[in-house]
Amino acid sequence: MLYDINLKITYAYEVPASGGRHVVRVLPVSLPDRQRLIAGSVSFAPNPEERSDNIDFFANPTTSITFRSAHDKLVIRMQARVQLDPQPMTADFSPKLADFPPEIVNVWSIAPDSPHHFLGQSPLLPDDPSIAAYAASIVKPDMTIRQIARAICERIHRDFTYDAKATTVDTPPKEAFRLKRGVCQDFAHVMITALRSLGIPAGYVSGFLRTIPPPGKERLEGADAMHAWVRFWCGRADGWMELDPTNNIFAGADHIVVGHGRDYSDVAPVIGVLKSYGSHETEQAVDVLPVV
Amino acid sequence: MAKTKTSEAATQENRITDDPVFGYRALPGIADEMVDIHGNVRSVWQHLLASIGRMDETELSNRFARADRYLRDAGVFYRAYGSKESSERSWPLSHVPVLIDEDEWANLSAGLVQRADLLEKLAADIYGPNRLVSEGVVPPSLVGANPEFLRPMVGVKPADDHFLHFCSFEIGRGPDGNWWVLSDRTEAPSGAGFALENRVATTRAFSDLYAETHVHRLAGFFGAFRDMLQSRKRHPDDRIAVLTPGLANETYFEHAYIARYLGFMLLEGEDLTVVDDRVMVRTVAGLKPVGVLWRRLDAAFADPLELNQRSHIGTPGLVEALRAGSVTIVNALGSGILETRAFLAFMPVICRQLLGEDLLLPSIATWWCGQQPERDHVMGNIEKMVIGPAYSTRPFFDDNGQSVLGSSLRDTAKLSVADWLKTDGAKLVGQEAVTLSTTPAWINGKLVPRPMSLRVYVARTREGWQVMPGGFARIGSGANAAAIAMQAGGSAADVWIVSNRPVERTSLLPPEESFIRTMPGSLPSRAADNLFWLGRYIERAEGALRILRAWNGRFAETADPNMPLLKDVSTYLSALDIDTKQAVPDSLIANINSALFSAGNIRDRFSADGWLALNDLAKTARKFQATVEVGDDATHAMTVLLRKLAGFAGLVHENMYRFTGWRFLSIGRYLERGLHMTRLLGHMTGEDTPDGAYDMLLEIGDSVMTHRRRYNVNTAALTVTDLLALDPLNPRSVLYQLNEIKTEVEQLPNAYGNGQMSSFYREAMRLHAGLAVMTPDGMNAAVYKRLEQELERFSDILAQTYLN
Repeated sequence: MLYDINLKITYAYEVPASGGRHVVRVLPVSLPDRQRLIAGSVSFAPNPEERSDNIDFFANPTTSITFRSAHDKLVIRMQARVQLDPQPMTADFSPKLADFPPEIVNVWSIAPDSPHHFLGQSPLLPDDPSIAAYAASIVKPDMTIRQIARAICERIHRDFTYDAKATTVDTPPKEAFRLKRGVCQDFAHVMITALRSLGIPAGYVSGFLRTIPPPGKERLEGADAMHAWVRFWCGRADGWMELDPTNNIFAGADHIVVGHGRDYSDVAPVIGVLKSYGSHETEQAVDVLPVV
Repeated sequence: MAKTKTSEAATQENRITDDPVFGYRALPGIADEMVDIHGNVRSVWQHLLASIGRMDETELSNRFARADRYLRDAGVFYRAYGSKESSERSWPLSHVPVLIDEDEWANLSAGLVQRADLLEKLAADIYGPNRLVSEGVVPPSLVGANPEFLRPMVGVKPADDHFLHFCSFEIGRGPDGNWWVLSDRTEAPSGAGFALENRVATTRAFSDLYAETHVHRLAGFFGAFRDMLQSRKRHPDDRIAVLTPGLANETYFEHAYIARYLGFMLLEGEDLTVVDDRVMVRTVAGLKPVGVLWRRLDAAFADPLELNQRSHIGTPGLVEALRAGSVTIVNALGSGILETRAFLAFMPVICRQLLGEDLLLPSIATWWCGQQPERDHVMGNIEKMVIGPAYSTRPFFDDNGQSVLGSSLRDTAKLSVADWLKTDGAKLVGQEAVTLSTTPAWINGKLVPRPMSLRVYVARTREGWQVMPGGFARIGSGANAAAIAMQAGGSAADVWIVSNRPVERTSLLPPEESFIRTMPGSLPSRAADNLFWLGRYIERAEGALRILRAWNGRFAETADPNMPLLKDVSTYLSALDIDTKQAVPDSLIANINSALFSAGNIRDRFSADGWLALNDLAKTARKFQATVEVGDDATHAMTVLLRKLAGFAGLVHENMYRFTGWRFLSIGRYLERGLHMTRLLGHMTGEDTPDGAYDMLLEIGDSVMTHRRRYNVNTAALTVTDLLALDPLNPRSVLYQLNEIKTEVEQLPNAYGNGQMSSFYREAMRLHAGLAVMTPDGMNAAVYKRLEQELERFSDILAQTYLN
């Protein structure tokens, strides 16, 4: 599949900001056997005084920008063309939970995709006994790791209600779990916490999802949004796999990856420190267009 | 030769046993610093012990009082965290130093230097190629799941190729007499400044003994470290700064002390900004480059963009600057991972792998419970173990009770520990529950053994690692080693490394012939901001005190709050949030507290005397608030407070160096005094001014005598206006303040640019000239109102020009 993706994030400041510094993660990443970034660019208005493009620890592309003069608006635009190769669904060679720990211990690496980064607590995801109990109640002894992840994904999808008003970007997973409501970020955070509580390495994937309009309706421009789902490690044979608890599916031909991290804080689209007094408003518009 | 005990000898023995000094006995089975296993006093201690033994109770307590007075006068404190709030505590000095023979110290030092080398290589491996993990030496989870592992720092090469420049080690002596490393401190080791203060205080108590004993001096160590830091500057113009998390930190005093001692700037994260990958400090003279940062701030908080996003005390972009290699940071961000308790278990094998040699100085025996054999060993020897968190960076006796002593568990609890080890093994370590050595402490008029551990310091110098000849001993409050931490009521003692030859004396002062007079460096904007507001708060408090004193004096005479003048002044004060129903109003206390807070933020900039005077003012005001009543009582109290405030102002006036910092403090005072008088005159010189208002104005303006001398008439609107608003020679008149402001502003950085007055300086000139040309009959409420607004605006412009 070939996609053109357009993203526009707008910040409008009530009081002009006299300066600011931001790290932006919006450009899709190239992943062997998964997706290829054919062309892409990130641009800003107004033009920042400084800009540098880097690759972070988890191999995500980042752009750091600095403003030193007053501005009352910031527009971030990203355009990309991405080639997607749908994940081939292989047979399940993942081990059972009881046989899993030695598999992890024997990965003698802390490279960015080593499972060891994705087992412990991360900045936004502390251990949570209620989510751990929920996870434990779903597991049956003969399940493989892949089956466990699939079952948890399914249960979250069934038990949770998609509700954009129930949570904010700062809602801890504990609270989303109590409410059984939230958006993709909350679903992903709860699922990651659940998997880690069982000793299954799990991480956060930020990206784009192509939405297919209802039959007979025309696709609305800018109606898409940035999306988030989960990847989990299921042993040396199967490696990393991706599940989308919001839609209860394995990530496939419609999931375009922007970045990998332990939780949202590692891959937030915009992290910023602003010199300003007032509040601000944000708007996000995304278009994911299949190129025929 | 065998001896038979005569009754005389027995009596003598009893006398010795009862003697407060010579009756000292080591605890059975525990090593002691002063007394060896045969009960003999070690030779380095003999002189000290004999001397103390000759002193009577009075002399000793006089000596100890000298040390305590020094600490109090120097304002040495640390911050203790209670269950609800934190408070400043005076420094708990244990007056008897710990003495160690220099030969023993030399052995120990060799081990510490090896360890510093080892930790440097370990940091380079963790943030570099990671061979220790890929070659199976260090379990990957100890890095991958370690909260101290800062991923943004992976692959970032330090500007001078070194991760570590300043380390400390917590060491203790085991029952066999050998030293063990209990904990490695590499993140932002604290206490070196306290070691210096301990030294000064202890030598106040024992100046004669210190002179007679060949004790190695500490100054050379700090001098060599300072030289190394200076050599890391890339441009002559680069600044070196101590980066502190700020006033709320438990060791803030020490940060200020070290900065002042070494002559570096003391900065907080918000003082810094990153421009084109260079770290710059915001000063009143603009942005200035910083080449070296000695950080006392936890690394995760150093940059909210790339590290802990919730940090409010960091510098956005700092990591980017480090990536560009434009600044040396001591120690490298991420060095905290080396403190991980579980690493102690792997140190012997890491040492062989990285240095190709054996560890000279053993660590406390530690087993990481993520592996079956180690787990079994810990469980099998549970009675001799302390179980604690594997990722903890603190020694087990100082980790807020996170560790449990195996021998303290009952049988059922032991079962659950076995379970705990099984399920959470990778997050746990077992450590041998060592008994630390004891050292003499003077408690309740007697020398008694108390457990101790040593904090020792190793610094990188231009000639390689150097060990501080001394350090600071933490002394337990009881016989229990677990109470050593200062937070749990322990104390600290000086450490004397004793030579049998005279030692070289060094001082940080440069030799006479190289004397140059340097002007103070650029003033950080935040320090200027605090000085400016200190000036404003102090003057605001004074203004309120003067009005309240006048009000209460009159109230004492009439006892009628409805008397027109009193009512009028109450209304005036209530607009300033001051309630005359309270003898010492809350807002006055708040004002003084704000002054104290501003002063606390810049403690490195004025004398300990000034700080004590200000604290005394605040304390007295709080005390008065609880006891003093409205009326005569309050008049008296206000007089006392005014005198104390004048004491503080006098100390500052007499002792503060006349440079940029002084100017901001002064401008704050003049501005607030001008505002105070302008508001008051505007309120009280209208047509319906109540009876007695002019006399009261003169009293508040401290100008009664002058008025009597200058004007041969009774008080009247015009003469009072002339004296309090327009007289250029009356130090309380508005015009006087504007003239002084103008003079100070002229001396500020950038008052002139390209041969022209800056717009700010022009504003100060305009303000002054505007009032200078006025006549008393032209002054009315509207004119005062406008002047008040202009003064407020002037404050805003000052902030925009210099304090941002």
